[in-house]
Amino acid sequence: MNEPITNLWSIPLFIVVPIITAIVVNLLYNKSKAIKVVSFASSLLLLAIAIISPFGFQWFTGQPGVLPGGGYTFRADVFAWRLSLEYYFGYLQQIMIFLMSLLLVFVVSIATKSLKKNYGTYIGLIFLLYMSAAIIIMVNDFYHLWIGVEVGSLLVAGVVAASGDAISQKAALKYTFFSALSGAGMAIALALILGLTGYANISDAIRFLGSNDVSSMYGVLYVSFGFLMLAWIYSGGLAPIHPLKSDVYGSAYPHATILLQTQSKLMLVAIGLVILRLFGTLPFAKEVMLGVSVLTMMIGVVMALLQTDFRWTLAYLIVSHSGLVTLGISLGSVLGIAGGLFQAVNDVIYMSVLLLCCEAVYYYGKGTSIKSVSGIAKKSPWLALAVVLGAFAASGVPPFNGFQSEILLIQAALSGGMPEIAVVILMVSVTTFVALFKTIYSIFLRPEEPLPIVQPDELADGKKSPVPKVLFFALAVLIGMTIVLGVYPQLALNFLTEAALKVVYVPWVP
Amino acid sequence: MIEFTLQLLSLTAAAALVVIGLGGMLFLDNMIKKIIAFTLLSDGVNLALVSLGYVEGGIVSILLPGSSVANFPDNAVLIFGPGIVLTNIVIGVSTTAVLVALTMVLYKRYGSLKASKVLKGERK
Repeated sequence: MNEPITNLWSIPLFIVVPIITAIVVNLLYNKSKAIKVVSFASSLLLLAIAIISPFGFQWFTGQPGVLPGGGYTFRADVFAWRLSLEYYFGYLQQIMIFLMSLLLVFVVSIATKSLKKNYGTYIGLIFLLYMSAAIIIMVNDFYHLWIGVEVGSLLVAGVVAASGDAISQKAALKYTFFSALSGAGMAIALALILGLTGYANISDAIRFLGSNDVSSMYGVLYVSFGFLMLAWIYSGGLAPIHPLKSDVYGSAYPHATILLQTQSKLMLVAIGLVILRLFGTLPFAKEVMLGVSVLTMMIGVVMALLQTDFRWTLAYLIVSHSGLVTLGISLGSVLGIAGGLFQAVNDVIYMSVLLLCCEAVYYYGKGTSIKSVSGIAKKSPWLALAVVLGAFAASGVPPFNGFQSEILLIQAALSGGMPEIAVVILMVSVTTFVALFKTIYSIFLRPEEPLPIVQPDELADGKKSPVPKVLFFALAVLIGMTIVLGVYPQLALNFLTEAALKVVYVPWVP
Repeated sequence: MIEFTLQLLSLTAAAALVVIGLGGMLFLDNMIKKIIAFTLLSDGVNLALVSLGYVEGGIVSILLPGSSVANFPDNAVLIFGPGIVLTNIVIGVSTTAVLVALTMVLYKRYGSLKASKVLKGERK
């Protein structure tokens, strides 16, 4: 017991820095310049920490792990009963948090540029949303997982309601009501697992379930599985509660939706992996997860086809593509899980491209409905190019990143003996293409109506675009990432495969 | 023959609270009543969490100076349940505050507390 405790320095910073930033910008409230400086510096700091941080653990209780053969250890690479509330920062967490930090930099820059006044509280909520997502992706105990999901749900409601119109407030209220239900369900699931295993640490609980005969307790396990599934469905907006989440995506500012959808994907990955690690061997558990995923993909993409507003098309496509992420995880194989994780990364990137394009369309003054906007390509050819490239990536067209993850998922489905799932993935891909290009044609390529689009003063001379330069910069970076990950998928895939291997072969390792 | 222990009775009460709360949230039309139903649901969950950690004749799971450690693990109640309850109370209050705030805003806008009227779907 002479080993020193080796808590990782960076893990608390991912929680503390956003909280402090949120408090400061909230106090600054209407001092726009100060809020811009503080929030931009803070988001850059989080990005830097995500890049330079080594891998490791944070054990909250500070107590050592108990070795199975007797004795104690603080070492994380040696198996021990951890008995501790615990966070872990590894390959998967680094990729996800880096991506989220990069998006936070862009979102903060765009929000402080586009909102006019008194946005301190709003920026504070965005930072807290980041914090909740960071908690969920790093956590390895039920207690913090539950708190992360609960706090994250309230923050989603806050960010959506901050958009300030009736439909946003309605969406926030409905979402909060349902969060109350699923949060209560998750608390019961947690209590049941705790009562059955005696451990709050996820690794310990998995180890307990794997090494003891719990067949007589299948009833309790199924109930806790059901409640965790409810939390998973709710947090990711999977079918059948997809209308709630698509309302949330569609009624928030598009730049806020970037972080909202990122948080949702991280919740889907984190809770999905916990369910798989805990209940993967339970009969029919994977089948239920697969069923929910397929249903979500199909309903989401069909609903997207029916929309006549760019942001609502995207809202339903985000839901549909969440199904692709969960499908990979539900397959339960190394290939499937790696594909699901890679899809989560890619999905966050290309959906961010499309959401930024949607935000840019707003600057032309007529909303985002295909009935009211047209001819944007003539005003801004670069924006049109960006949205077309984003749509290609989302539809799984090579050489963009969406192609790589979707082909992995198809391979995983085929090697798992489920060709029908591969067909569904292809169908979602094609339908995504149709839904997006229907909207893109109407808004960007269709000739302008006789009445010209309302133009801000800057555009009147035809020289200056009303869209902020930072938005184009963010688009360029994200499109670059879609191409780089499409051409060199191993940049992320090697690390994600390692995470998938751990889930399949040593599920008690976080 | 079922033995009506204190744990079973409190779990039954918790289940009743959860069912009443759930029913209220799903079927009542008044927003304030829905929020009250949510607090009942939350209380039911809290009671269930405390009851799950109950040990017949158990002791408080704090090792005080001078107390015996010999039977402590067997007799101490499960501490995590009450720990989660404390957090759940805080989260419950926060959720209630958000629900009430949003309800107030929508009431000012629509002049009604009927969920069927206030939450009726519309798109921008």
